[in-house]
Amino acid sequence: METSELLQLAIAGLKNGSIYALLALGFTIVYAATNVINFAQGEFYMLGGMFAVLAFTQFELPLLVSVPLAVLVVAGIGMLFETLAIRPRKDAEPMALIIITVGGSLVFASLARHAFGSDALPLPEFTAGPSFLFAGAAIERQTVWIWGIVLVTVAGLTFLYSKTRLGRAMRACMQNREAARLMGIDTARVVMISFGLAAALGAVAGVAVTPLTSTRFDIGAGIAVKGFAAAILGGLGSPLAAVAGGLLLGLIEQAVIPFSSALKDVVALGVLLAVLFLRPQGLFRRARREKM
Amino acid sequence: MRSSIRAAVIVALTIGVAITPFVMTDRYILRILTFVGINLIMVAGLSLLFGYAGQISLGQAAFYGLGAYTSGYLAKAGVPWLLALVGGVAVAAIGGLLIALPSLRLKGHYLAMATLGFGEIMLFFFTETESVTGGSNGLRGIPAASIGPLEFATPVAKYFLVWSVVGIVLVLAANIVRRRPGRALRAIHGSETGAQACGIDTVRVKIQVFVLSAGLGGLAGVLYAHYVGFVSPSTFTLHYSLILVTMVALGGMGSLGGAVAGTVLLTLLPYVDAIIPGLPRSTVELIQDWTNDIYGMVLILVMLFMPRGLAGWATSLVTRFGERDRAGDSVGQGGGA
Repeated sequence: METSELLQLAIAGLKNGSIYALLALGFTIVYAATNVINFAQGEFYMLGGMFAVLAFTQFELPLLVSVPLAVLVVAGIGMLFETLAIRPRKDAEPMALIIITVGGSLVFASLARHAFGSDALPLPEFTAGPSFLFAGAAIERQTVWIWGIVLVTVAGLTFLYSKTRLGRAMRACMQNREAARLMGIDTARVVMISFGLAAALGAVAGVAVTPLTSTRFDIGAGIAVKGFAAAILGGLGSPLAAVAGGLLLGLIEQAVIPFSSALKDVVALGVLLAVLFLRPQGLFRRARREKM
Repeated sequence: MRSSIRAAVIVALTIGVAITPFVMTDRYILRILTFVGINLIMVAGLSLLFGYAGQISLGQAAFYGLGAYTSGYLAKAGVPWLLALVGGVAVAAIGGLLIALPSLRLKGHYLAMATLGFGEIMLFFFTETESVTGGSNGLRGIPAASIGPLEFATPVAKYFLVWSVVGIVLVLAANIVRRRPGRALRAIHGSETGAQACGIDTVRVKIQVFVLSAGLGGLAGVLYAHYVGFVSPSTFTLHYSLILVTMVALGGMGSLGGAVAGTVLLTLLPYVDAIIPGLPRSTVELIQDWTNDIYGMVLILVMLFMPRGLAGWATSLVTRFGERDRAGDSVGQGGGA
């Protein structure tokens, strides 16, 4: 295989991996605040694309207005979901919350079918134009957008976590929610914002990728599994590990393509099971003994 | 008193199931009721695993598929039905063992994701191994079930075959949950460490219940394959696994009777027109269009407002009436449980 082909695969891997990274970040943030995996995370990805298409084609807003608008709307939906469906379960029993998010995933996908129909909906690239050429490999303009968006997002999250009051509160909740509450942190608010933030990250990923893949009401569950595989690969701990897990998963997927392109879709599942069974704490963390 | 109510309900339901094909001769209704039976076998397995032992599985459809494809393939190759059935159940049970062994230390969302991943991988293989499964076109021309010269070819015969198996499975499951193994399952649900401290071999019990629920899934799959005569990957999706979880959750965790009620209600939901004949066409279509929304809302609402499901609700009703009865007596007794 020539280097330009290898490079082309690596570019595709880092493009998909960036998307997985955004979803993995969403899983990680909600997990940090609630100890729960949000099975509806993939639906935020789907809804992001859907609302951008709606704003762009139905309301004929410019693309660069439609996109942030869609992200904001989905962030609101995330917070609403937390307020209406997660918070009322006072004991926050993990199994019950898991089932609630599974139910939420069914409802979101189904409502999207009612609202947007069951066809695949396209969105134009953010900036039209020919692909860039780099050492014999082509990079689509939208891919550059995706990378830029991920970089900005990660920088923004790092700033949020390290420099702001809210970020400190979120980190405190991550370490010990009960202690954080006793220190006067409004943990209910942190949980709600975490859901909003995770929904926004899912929506960003969905909007960024829709010009390349278009969107449909039923794509949420499939992408959620990949995002979770990335999150668990990173160890469900720090945001940086989630990003690393996402990029790694994207590259692993592309590495299989020369052998069998049919296998590409099952790679993430294989990685997911392998990590769960062999190293559930993720690649980057040391094993911790379970508390009783 | 409560046990006599239960006995009366069970007898009435059994008689109802037995006479239905003679009262309702409509093929459509029989078909739907047969599917209710097949779902009941699936849910009986999931109820033991998830409802009683607290081990969530979002991949039950995989075992359903393993049973259906194995026995369909064997029967098409000329293997007698009973042997094909044994093969289907065995392959599904082995699948359950394969997922149980590495899953033993997983719980909560880790287990949920592992079983979900397993289900999706199996779906991938059902679609991709075309030489065995027929790929996305599916496996056609699966012969009807038969035992020697006895062939279950008519809708009524198929109905009785499925419901006889349902009867056996439910009696078996009821015996498990009311005796020692059932108490072990509930103990594991409560606290695995606590169960261990009580001398329960939790590893062994968890493997057993995984394999049992997978085997029951396989059994349901076998019945499905020979009932419909055709299997394709679109039957064995994550969506079906989620509906099964919804049925158990609606019925109430840790209640076999509740799971049965949840299954019957949710399976009939898209077919309300068959059950309530006078319903206008538009209402039926509306319900069918919103079936998935209803399933999802049921999951959320039950977890928020009815955490013990239909079973918990029924129990509290009975208790309330029991208290009213006893209010007349001056001596408050524990009631005959």
